[in-house]
Amino acid sequence: MQYKLTYIFLLGLILLSSYTVAQNNENTDLKLFTSTTNFEAGKMVVLKFSTSQAIKPLLYCANSYGSTIVSPSLKNNILQYVIPKNMTQKIGVVNWEIIEDTISVTGKFNINPKAEVAVMETYIGPPSIEAGGTDYTMLVVIPTDALDNPIAENTIVNAKHQFLASEKTEAISTKNLIAYKNVYSQKTSGRILMASECLNTNSKEFTVHVTPAVPTDFTITARQSHQYADGNQVTTFITSVLKDKHNNVVSDGTFVTFFITNTNGDILKTSGTTINGVATSKMIHPDHEEQWHIKAYVTGMAESNTIILNYKQVILDFDVVFSKNNRDITIGHLQSFLNQTIPDGLQVKLSIYKNNKRIESYTKTSREGFVHFNLKHHVFKNATYKIIIKTAGLEKIYKSKTLW
Amino acid sequence: MKETSNKYLISALLLGLVFHGASMFFTLETTYDALIHLFFADHYANSWFEPWNYKWYTGFTVMSYPPLVHQSIALLSLVGGLKFGMFTVALIGIVLFITGVYRFSLLITSNRTVAGYASVLAVFSSSFVETLHVFGQLPSIIGISVLMHALPEIYLWLKTGKYWYLATSLSLIAVTVTSHHVTPIFGMVFFIFPLIGMVIMDASKDKVGRMKAVTFKVFLATFLTLFKRIIGFGILSLLIIVGCILPYWINSKNNPITQVPIPHGSRDSFLEVTSSGLVFFLIPWGILLILLPYVFYRYYTKRYLFFGLSITILFVLGTGGTTPIPRLLLGETAFNILTLDRFSLWASIMALPLLGEFAYRFVQGDLKTHIQSKFGAVYHRIVGGVLAGLFVFMTVFTMSLGYFRPSQPQKIKMLPIVNFLNQDDHDKWRFLTLGFGDQMAWLSAQTNAMSVDGNYHSARRLPELTTRPIERLENSKFKGVAGIGSLQQFLTTPEKYNLKYIFSNDKFYDPILYFCGWQRLRQLENGIMVWERLNIPPVSSILPKEDVAKWLKILWGVIPILTVIIAFVLNIQMLWVNALKTKAKKCPAFFKYKNDYTHFSSSILKTTHVWSLILASIVIYGIYQFYLKTDTQRSPENAIIAYYDALDFKSFEKAYHLINPKSNLPIAQYMLEISVTDGLLSSYAKLDAIETVFTSKNDSIARAKVITNWITPLEKINKVDYKSLIKHNNKWYLQPDTIDTDLPPDQLYSNSTTTYFNQGRKRVTTEQTHHEDVLKQPALEILSSKLVKYNNHYAIIGEVQNIDNVPADIVLKGTLYNDNNKVLASYNAKYHVKHKLMPKEVSSFKINFEGIAWSKTEDAIPDTFNPDEFTPVEFEEQPTRFNLQVAGNVSGSDLYKNMVLNAIEINDGQIIGSLFNSGVEEITVPQLLVTYYNEHKTMLWVDHLFVKKGVRQQRKQDFEYSIIKNGSVKIITDDMTNVFVNGLPNDAISNKIVPNRIDNHTATELQKINHPDYNYIKIELNTYIGNPN
Repeated sequence: MQYKLTYIFLLGLILLSSYTVAQNNENTDLKLFTSTTNFEAGKMVVLKFSTSQAIKPLLYCANSYGSTIVSPSLKNNILQYVIPKNMTQKIGVVNWEIIEDTISVTGKFNINPKAEVAVMETYIGPPSIEAGGTDYTMLVVIPTDALDNPIAENTIVNAKHQFLASEKTEAISTKNLIAYKNVYSQKTSGRILMASECLNTNSKEFTVHVTPAVPTDFTITARQSHQYADGNQVTTFITSVLKDKHNNVVSDGTFVTFFITNTNGDILKTSGTTINGVATSKMIHPDHEEQWHIKAYVTGMAESNTIILNYKQVILDFDVVFSKNNRDITIGHLQSFLNQTIPDGLQVKLSIYKNNKRIESYTKTSREGFVHFNLKHHVFKNATYKIIIKTAGLEKIYKSKTLW
Repeated sequence: MKETSNKYLISALLLGLVFHGASMFFTLETTYDALIHLFFADHYANSWFEPWNYKWYTGFTVMSYPPLVHQSIALLSLVGGLKFGMFTVALIGIVLFITGVYRFSLLITSNRTVAGYASVLAVFSSSFVETLHVFGQLPSIIGISVLMHALPEIYLWLKTGKYWYLATSLSLIAVTVTSHHVTPIFGMVFFIFPLIGMVIMDASKDKVGRMKAVTFKVFLATFLTLFKRIIGFGILSLLIIVGCILPYWINSKNNPITQVPIPHGSRDSFLEVTSSGLVFFLIPWGILLILLPYVFYRYYTKRYLFFGLSITILFVLGTGGTTPIPRLLLGETAFNILTLDRFSLWASIMALPLLGEFAYRFVQGDLKTHIQSKFGAVYHRIVGGVLAGLFVFMTVFTMSLGYFRPSQPQKIKMLPIVNFLNQDDHDKWRFLTLGFGDQMAWLSAQTNAMSVDGNYHSARRLPELTTRPIERLENSKFKGVAGIGSLQQFLTTPEKYNLKYIFSNDKFYDPILYFCGWQRLRQLENGIMVWERLNIPPVSSILPKEDVAKWLKILWGVIPILTVIIAFVLNIQMLWVNALKTKAKKCPAFFKYKNDYTHFSSSILKTTHVWSLILASIVIYGIYQFYLKTDTQRSPENAIIAYYDALDFKSFEKAYHLINPKSNLPIAQYMLEISVTDGLLSSYAKLDAIETVFTSKNDSIARAKVITNWITPLEKINKVDYKSLIKHNNKWYLQPDTIDTDLPPDQLYSNSTTTYFNQGRKRVTTEQTHHEDVLKQPALEILSSKLVKYNNHYAIIGEVQNIDNVPADIVLKGTLYNDNNKVLASYNAKYHVKHKLMPKEVSSFKINFEGIAWSKTEDAIPDTFNPDEFTPVEFEEQPTRFNLQVAGNVSGSDLYKNMVLNAIEINDGQIIGSLFNSGVEEITVPQLLVTYYNEHKTMLWVDHLFVKKGVRQQRKQDFEYSIIKNGSVKIITDDMTNVFVNGLPNDAISNKIVPNRIDNHTATELQKINHPDYNYIKIELNTYIGNPN
């Protein structure tokens, strides 16, 4: 029974309070009389309301950066809300609402960009593209006003670029805050300079390198001071100027591998990098008669013709002198094609066998045309040995030499 | 009785301050530990209450070491800088030590003169000199000194039962524990337990009147009466030891040291490793070795019996691995964690009162009269002179140890490095030092940049470090296989640790840095070479840390200094009275037990004589053995070893003097011939082992096969040389080797190459780099790649080409997955790729998947060194697919490509060939990359060879390569869908830039071989230039 009474009492209270609220609502009278809804960024924005009551409700306003509360000033029954700078300097929609329990007055206004450009925010990439007309770079321009707001949609931006003799200007318009343009390479390599202009403001200079495309086939030649296999001189291999299919000289530093197949079918290798399209590469002469087939490659992209080089034997025969109980072996005088002493460094290999088993082998290099070996007592006991001497592709075998 | 000042103590203090105070400026910074304490101090100076330090080991907690000394240095550093703090604390340590020895000696001997003698001798005691000037163990010195100050207070508490003494003794123990945790724990056992024994003895004597009448029964009864005080003291001091550094104990419990023990010289067998014997046994004991019989005799009298036992145990423990006893006593774990040198230090300190006593008796007491009456005054003087001479010699020798055998590299000027790290945001990446020694701690203290390395090995956290017995990556070359093995993992996958810069003070590491893909940036003005690695992300701005509760941080920051303040307040009165003699003080209780210095025992004098003779003969025998081993020309073995040793240490003149003087080889020619040899072996190798086998030998001629093992940063090299030796005038000489006489045809060479320079940010500014200053990443293409399995070992192999127009530095990262796309392993290409590619250049590559080597403790770490060896990662599941990421960055360095394969011959599995250097730079380390193919010319495997000798300009160099023998390769997958270049799909880039690629273009140029598993090979050449012109 008691509960019932309490409920009725509470219900009564609620009804009573809602009545008061409703009455308040009827009495409130707030009316916006700022009619403009478009403002230029940076200008002062004041929302004015007429009111009949001396209340000062707060104004909630929000843009895409955030939200804030503004308190009014009341003068002659006019409520004035000064929208803070951080709201009025950024373009976009600002929604507002009067915060008052009993009333709901809402609205929105737009902040529009200034019709001037202070900064041309420009991006370009990639900074290097390939010649040929398929590769491209993208120029992105964001003209912004002094308050860092992108300017209005469909503003004309002039994209200018210079390449070789041509200078072009093309009008593009901003869309979704930016203006962009794809710049395709042409068939020639070189450097594109780019700039842009919007509302009489110009950007700085930007560079895009148009690099040559992959090389095409080329030819090679060899340069040598003589054709003799002296194991000393150097042969230089030279490529023709490497170009891509659009006739651009390839970039400096392009790596060219030269494969050399010798008489045995073994593969030797040298390499060079291009300068002005020409790669040179060096190879030391063999020390014995050889025929070389040389072919150069830019792997996967281009190759050269095959050239053949023949190296003539320089040492046709050599003398071997055994002395001091056959323990001192002197090889020489080793002479080259003009009968001159062979340049120092020719390899001579001596192998000593006993009962057809190799005991020792020594390699020495010639000095002033001679190579000298000494077979020591404590290594080679007094006995008969087989001795093989090899140099410059020649071989001399002494089947039984007795050391004592 | 008016007490006079103790002249000996005052002179000891003055001498100590002058001697140590003046010399420490030349020694302390080159010690092992001092700079580490400085680094910790720097931490406290910057963040007193925050225990987490990011600078080392990707973060560690300083709660792993008692903080008092570090905090004191940090406080003082606010006055005059870190080094001022360190030297001041060292001076305080010196004063505490000398006064500590005085008070401890007074307690033991109850004689002021004797204690004075002891304090003077303590100043020059070799163990103290070593601990301070060689090891730099400041906390240890302060710990033991304060402990010695505590001992008389403990005695008085136990003896008199006055609570005041309990308070003073506990306050001093608190200071001890906050400065060094090990000291009070072992000090309890080795100093305080014997002291308790002595108190009970004294109390028993009081009971029965004479020491002789003290029986075990009396002793036990006294013990029981004193039991309350003893147990009270014991419990309270235990509470203090635990409570004062509670955060330390909690940290040790949470992060137990689970690392592989780091070898320490004090655990060696001193007879085998004589250098450890010298440093950890001979020097700490010094002159005390001669007096051992006296020390033991005195400490084994009834009153000191327990000290006798204690010093015996300390002596034995201090012998390290010489006898098995320390290992048995301590147990395996403790033996491997503790450094045993501290036992010798404590034993020598314990013996100091008796050294003072002996000196007193010898100089002005009964021993003097005894010797003079028995042997005459002259003998007394001679013996005195010899003993004093030996004592001074030991001190001077110890002091100058760092001069003769520097433990540290030359002092490095840190300022250029600090400046470098501060420029251009270089401290946004981690760095690593190589060859800095303990100076790396000083660098860390001066910069905000973080290092992956560190100098406090107990705090290491990365498994790559804790599983290796190495202290630092920094000095990894001294740690053999484990060291270089650990280092190369960091060098190969540096992006894991954001490691971008390496400061190298040691040329030794250059080849490994180069072949792991690093490049030289520049040499700083202090001679340190900066190496950098491209494509490393900076350290993220928020780093993980292990946080601890706030109350622990407060405890840690407050208690240590508080203990000092409390101890100071409690003991100031005693200090005041002692120092200024403001009032006549009652003699302390232990003064009752004076020793009788009237009858020096004849037998102990005799024993000392005999003992000295034995010692002398051991020393003479040792010197003779040393002479036999080091007389370089006494035997052909010695000559060979001396020759290789001289070459190893680059003492070429010494080596020349071992060359046969009749060989007509002038020294100038010899030096010239040596100077023109460069390469892995002659410039970057360290001799590891040498074995000589004589193939023939008689009185005057010998021929030896010399098998040498060399450690290089890249691999272990076994070399066999044949040397002939000859004897002239009783001296053995080596015959000189023949040299290569090859002469290039021309005098002057020219070579045109394209060089590159990337200026980075164009404007001089501290702003972030403008987007237009960022170069495009070079386009690369993976021509082929596949996952293969060879002998249970997975690898990704393939070929990569730089298809751009600029040279590229390349980083290849492979990841293996199983069928369920679970990541199994990830690693980077190490040696098996040319890290720098010219435009359009191709390189074969192989990515090995290395596990953390010897990550399981049961994996035996091989004794022999082989940096090339690696531990394949153990896969729980079968890898079936892979992801390959290749990143290119423009690089203008190390683009030397003028190496030519100019001759080749293939015989029975051996490739013998020769390389020709056609350019104008000397090639220091030539590398061959050998790719194996099957009969369809499908790539199967990639191998490498480092040629041991360099190639001079326009000259040839032979090489020999063994074709891999058995084991066929199984291709698991060659699916290239997950191959990415600079984060973009490989195919897209390839189709755009090289749409008409000629596949397998150079397949016709493969070298044919005869092999059951492989049919063709391809040889590619890579070069390391040690000294670019």
